[in-house]
Amino acid sequence: MAETSNKSPIDSDMIRCVGLTKTYPRASGNVRSLRGVDLAVRPGEFITIRGPSGCGKTTLLLMLGGMLHPTSGQVRVSGQEVYALDARRRAQLRAASIGFVFQMFHLLPYLSVLENVILASTEPDATVSRDRSRTLLKQLGLSGREDHKPSELSAGERQRTAIARALVNRPKLVLADEPTGNLDPENAGEVFRYLSEFHHSGGTVLVVSHGSMAESFSDRVIHMREGNIVPDPGSDTPNTEAQGG
Amino acid sequence: MGTLSLILKEACHRKVNFAMSLMAVMVTVALFITYLTTAEASKRETTRVTRDIGFNLRIIPRETDMDRFWTDGFSELTMPEETIRKFADYEGVFMSYNHLVAVLQQRFALLGRDVILTGLSPTITAAKQKKQAMGFEIEEGTVHIGFQVAERLKLRKGDSLQLGDRAFSIVRAMVESGTEEDIRVYARLSDVQQVLGMEGRINEIKAIDCLCLTADQDPLKVLRAELDKALPEARVIQMRTIADARAKQRQTAERYFAFMSPLLLVVCAGWVCVLAVLNVRDRRSEIGLLRALGHGSARIAGLFLGRALLIGIVAAVAGYGIGAVLALNVGPEIFKVTAKAIQLEGGLLGWALLVAPAFSAMATFIPAMLAVTLDPATTLRAD
Ligand SMILES: Nc1ncnc2c1ncn2[C@@H]1O[C@H](COP(=O)(O)OP(=O)(O)OP(=O)(O)O)[C@@H](O)[C@H]1O
Ligand SMILES: [Mg+2]
Repeated sequence: MAETSNKSPIDSDMIRCVGLTKTYPRASGNVRSLRGVDLAVRPGEFITIRGPSGCGKTTLLLMLGGMLHPTSGQVRVSGQEVYALDARRRAQLRAASIGFVFQMFHLLPYLSVLENVILASTEPDATVSRDRSRTLLKQLGLSGREDHKPSELSAGERQRTAIARALVNRPKLVLADEPTGNLDPENAGEVFRYLSEFHHSGGTVLVVSHGSMAESFSDRVIHMREGNIVPDPGSDTPNTEAQGG
Repeated sequence: MGTLSLILKEACHRKVNFAMSLMAVMVTVALFITYLTTAEASKRETTRVTRDIGFNLRIIPRETDMDRFWTDGFSELTMPEETIRKFADYEGVFMSYNHLVAVLQQRFALLGRDVILTGLSPTITAAKQKKQAMGFEIEEGTVHIGFQVAERLKLRKGDSLQLGDRAFSIVRAMVESGTEEDIRVYARLSDVQQVLGMEGRINEIKAIDCLCLTADQDPLKVLRAELDKALPEARVIQMRTIADARAKQRQTAERYFAFMSPLLLVVCAGWVCVLAVLNVRDRRSEIGLLRALGHGSARIAGLFLGRALLIGIVAAVAGYGIGAVLALNVGPEIFKVTAKAIQLEGGLLGWALLVAPAFSAMATFIPAMLAVTLDPATTLRAD
């Protein structure tokens, strides 16, 4: 099968990307969001990506998640070359292996909390998928809120719903883009606690975050500037190495 | 989660957008149903009104001396009565010249003065026309007399009138017409033939052209060319003023419909399209999210197409109902003459059920598919 044929046995990285660039052609001149990013993420790592606004963090995260074609370069997730797959297979890969958490939550407003989680489930058995979704919502402190619409929830509750949705298919990898950007410190702490729980159960986490809170949960912090990964501006340690843990 | 349940939940959530889209298609269907139903009525009305203007074609023997024809008012020659059958049965352009009457008319001395004795055959309609015969049918042994004849001879309805060796009963004394009709005596064709001793002969066929030709065809030219082939022994005269009035009325109606139909279609279609595109644009980030969650393009297409089909089907049925009520209530007010003939065509519901969902789906399909082919990130970040 194509899914396994391009998987090399020594390719044990969760994510490996090489020479990633993204250029948006604009009348006023090309916007170069990424300028050749190389990155390797081992399974089970918790990584925080930091950098000033507009440096390409979201672009990188979306590209790693198979959501945005790079202008050049390669992305491998679990050994599969993401952009060599056709759109259908790439969608299957996202559903099966990757969970997303967005700053803007992106919950469907016309579905209840429970339905929003079930919507992401790939489990063919409806009862199993419903039970799993309920359990997750309970773990995330949302029991009793299952039948509410997103508009009836607080921002923190919405983000926890989004986390439940990201975890419903037991992904190997969670990509979170400023998941706490719209939350107060208390709710932000909650979010990181759940991400950290997922991390401790063996999951890989990449989170874009400005706050210092993320770093306390991280194995490693990556700094970006103007479309490149750069050494930590505040330390001598090269950013590609793990920082404590 | 089932696609239908998602569609219904979205519809309930975005009630206004759903209702607007539904309205757009519904109003389009209703307009068309009303329009098509009343257009049919309008055509019938035009036909009826113009038909009442009278016969406008006179077919007479070819060798007629035209100078005498115009001074006498009829041809001095005759042709066989079967000519009218040949004319009626001729396939081709004459199909459209329905309502034929065979006429035999001669000057006839009646108590010291001449009258024009006129025999009329029953009206013949073309074989494929199931319409009612028009004009009046004359019973055997009866006559209708013109105003001047009645005045001079002091005759009234119910009196008897001697023509040659036969007595006829007068069933009608006509009102003053101000034309040579006032000195006519109308009787059944066979009676007149017998009185004149001209069995089996006629000297004129009167006809109405139904004006089924298009505006750019000269009916007289077409008719003459056809007549040369079909009835070489006859010639045709068209009474221009009547014909022109009729043609103008018909052309006005035709032009109006030729202008209105496409205009209506374009305006309504445009409206439906705009709403469909707006709905998809509003939901681009939703498409992006569904794709991010790993839903295939078929599933997403199903979601949007299903919504469009639902709108199309509901709107077709509701629109048909509204259009029907409108046509049946407003139509008879406008088209008084043929009011009773305004009827619904059930077939239009079938068409509405076919065209409305198909169109609504098409208008949605294109923008939805365009959104699906983009990277999920692009659509997700769209707003
Ligand atoms: N569709 C696009 N067209 C043109 N330029 C774009 C597009 N999307 C992103 N960019 C540009 O690419 C650059 C990187 O954007 P990106 O969203 O990745 O930044 P970011 O690091 O996530 O910033 P922030 O911290 O503010 O979220 C920015 O300069 C942005 O303007
Ligand atoms: Mg960003």
